[in-house]
Amino acid sequence: MSAKLETKVSDAWGSETPPQARSADTSGMVQATGSAAESGGWAMPVQAIGLLLVAPALAVVVFLFIVPLISSVTGAFDVGGALSLGNFAKAFELYSGDMLFTLAIVLLSSALIALFSIMIGGYLTLGSNPRAVAILRWIYRWPLFIPFIVVGQILRTFLAKNGLMNNIFIELGLMTPLSAMSFLDWRGIVIAFVWKQTPFVALLLSGAMASIDRSTIEAARNLGANRLRILVEIVLPQVRTTLLVGLILSFVTMMSVLSVPLMINAQSPTMITANMAFRINAYRDYGVANALGLISLLMTSAVAWIYLRQTMREHSR
Amino acid sequence: MSAFLEVVNARVLYGQNEVLKGVNLAVEKGEFVALLGSSGCGKTTLLRSIAGFNTPASGAIRVNGHDVTRLPPDKRGMALVFQSYALWPHMTVDQNIGYGLKLRKMPKVAIDARVTEIKRLLGLDAFGARKPANLSGGQRQRVALGRALAIQPDILLLDEPLSNLDARIRLTVRHEISALQRRLGITAVHVTHDREEAMVMADRIVILNNGEIAQVGTPEEVYNRPASDFVAAFMGAENLVELSAVLHGDRIEIAAGAFNTAAVVSARGRALSGPLNARFRGESAELSDAESAIPSLREEGALRLTGTVEQTSYPGGLWRHVIAVGSAHVIVDSPRSFEIGKRVSVRIPEEALFLYSKQ
Repeated sequence: MSAKLETKVSDAWGSETPPQARSADTSGMVQATGSAAESGGWAMPVQAIGLLLVAPALAVVVFLFIVPLISSVTGAFDVGGALSLGNFAKAFELYSGDMLFTLAIVLLSSALIALFSIMIGGYLTLGSNPRAVAILRWIYRWPLFIPFIVVGQILRTFLAKNGLMNNIFIELGLMTPLSAMSFLDWRGIVIAFVWKQTPFVALLLSGAMASIDRSTIEAARNLGANRLRILVEIVLPQVRTTLLVGLILSFVTMMSVLSVPLMINAQSPTMITANMAFRINAYRDYGVANALGLISLLMTSAVAWIYLRQTMREHSR
Repeated sequence: MSAFLEVVNARVLYGQNEVLKGVNLAVEKGEFVALLGSSGCGKTTLLRSIAGFNTPASGAIRVNGHDVTRLPPDKRGMALVFQSYALWPHMTVDQNIGYGLKLRKMPKVAIDARVTEIKRLLGLDAFGARKPANLSGGQRQRVALGRALAIQPDILLLDEPLSNLDARIRLTVRHEISALQRRLGITAVHVTHDREEAMVMADRIVILNNGEIAQVGTPEEVYNRPASDFVAAFMGAENLVELSAVLHGDRIEIAAGAFNTAAVVSARGRALSGPLNARFRGESAELSDAESAIPSLREEGALRLTGTVEQTSYPGGLWRHVIAVGSAHVIVDSPRSFEIGKRVSVRIPEEALFLYSKQ
């Protein structure tokens, strides 16, 4: 009975409804085609229904992601309406130091994030003091919920020459006011990135560590491995893909943060993101900004390629 | 002279839950002991306490007279083979077997020699470079065993090592493990819930029930002289009938009931009278056509039940009959089949009849 009714409805669409009305009521159409497929008595091929179902998502991706990306890539090669590498030449001339600075900062931060998240994940998995493990588990995720801009702001007041950190050290008599120095340079950025991104990687990593077979850890203990060896030789090799994924995601995140370099290190050298904002806001120079954007995209793509190659190799094994 | 491995009055708690309630166990050097029990009886907990992964709330564990209760797992001279094998997936067979030796800082050449020796012992020569994912269940099991044996432990602990194997492979691996254990003269404690596996492999069987030891004995002892109703049932004497009896000197006189004849069996030191639980195995009773009436004669050295055949099946070798004896059902095997609905007589010789006073 209901199948018959739906057939009628879709027939009506097929013959009478004007095309505008069809596209206007997409949700109704999806519903009707879905049930027609179930009743099986209708002419629309299954592949076409599938395409229709993914069409809204595909449209969002095309219009909000691919089109702007292409326009920004073409914009990078566009100097006064002509195809040229001028933007790149200018970008390298002005900002090659900043590019290296960016890469160095993000790589150093990634390395430190890896180290700290392995330590946190390792302690959560292998720690023998249940209370310490519970406290660490409760506390380590906090920075995840703090926005980058707030991290930048907090650290700016904390790390400045007359900031809270130096004041505490001076109060404690650990150093004199004369020897106080500002950390608001590359070190400040690295501290901000590591502080903000370590919990994210540690969260992924400790989840992966918790899901490995506990008896593989006990077997190593049984044969006499200490905790550090178990972490390095037994646990870490089993979760290295997760670690790599976490680091790549945070690499990409760090490459795209503007607020931290602006807050902490608004001098030269600084990160590419700050340069891009500067090119656009100060000069309306979209060409060089696009070129810088493409360069940072190449850096993240290189990292993504390493990851893909690694996973392909593991799958082929 | 005390035993090589001793567990003295060990109590283990998981939170408020007492999993081991004061267990005493002595294992001689070179002996193969099986811890047998159903799931949740505490057998794995006992093994893990011996291995050092659980610390008893009270009691002691001694090896060769030394107290090891508080020692870490690797300082006890024991190696544990895990139920899941717990092989390290990122290491090859050679690396898995050699890891314990690497931890002992043995030179590389010596490690290689020992790994080769272990592989030869276990028939793993061709698999040294493979990772565990590329091995069959039986091969993984042997790698796990090899990894444990490589460090030449005094005591080998086996936590249900055969439960993940196919039924057919399991039968051969049983014999391989016990043959290897005898050849190496190693002391072994083996946890299992499989009665036959324990019987076939072990010198002595420890039957655990609810955190306590129900009986310790050779396979022959626990099979033929189960100490309690629980052990009898666990060792396969599942058929249960209730009787009433009086003790007369060294004889137990069983009163005639609605479905059983009067009988006299020797007491063999058992002081039993009043209501009894009688247990027997289906294969140790004899089935025959029932006489028209229950004989008033007293049976000597055997108990005779009368019932009706309700179901028959042929599991192979013998015919299996489900027989209704009053409200109870018993299962009895017989070389020939009896028709459904037929009245039959079940004769249980006294050596196959296990009697316990009813709690």
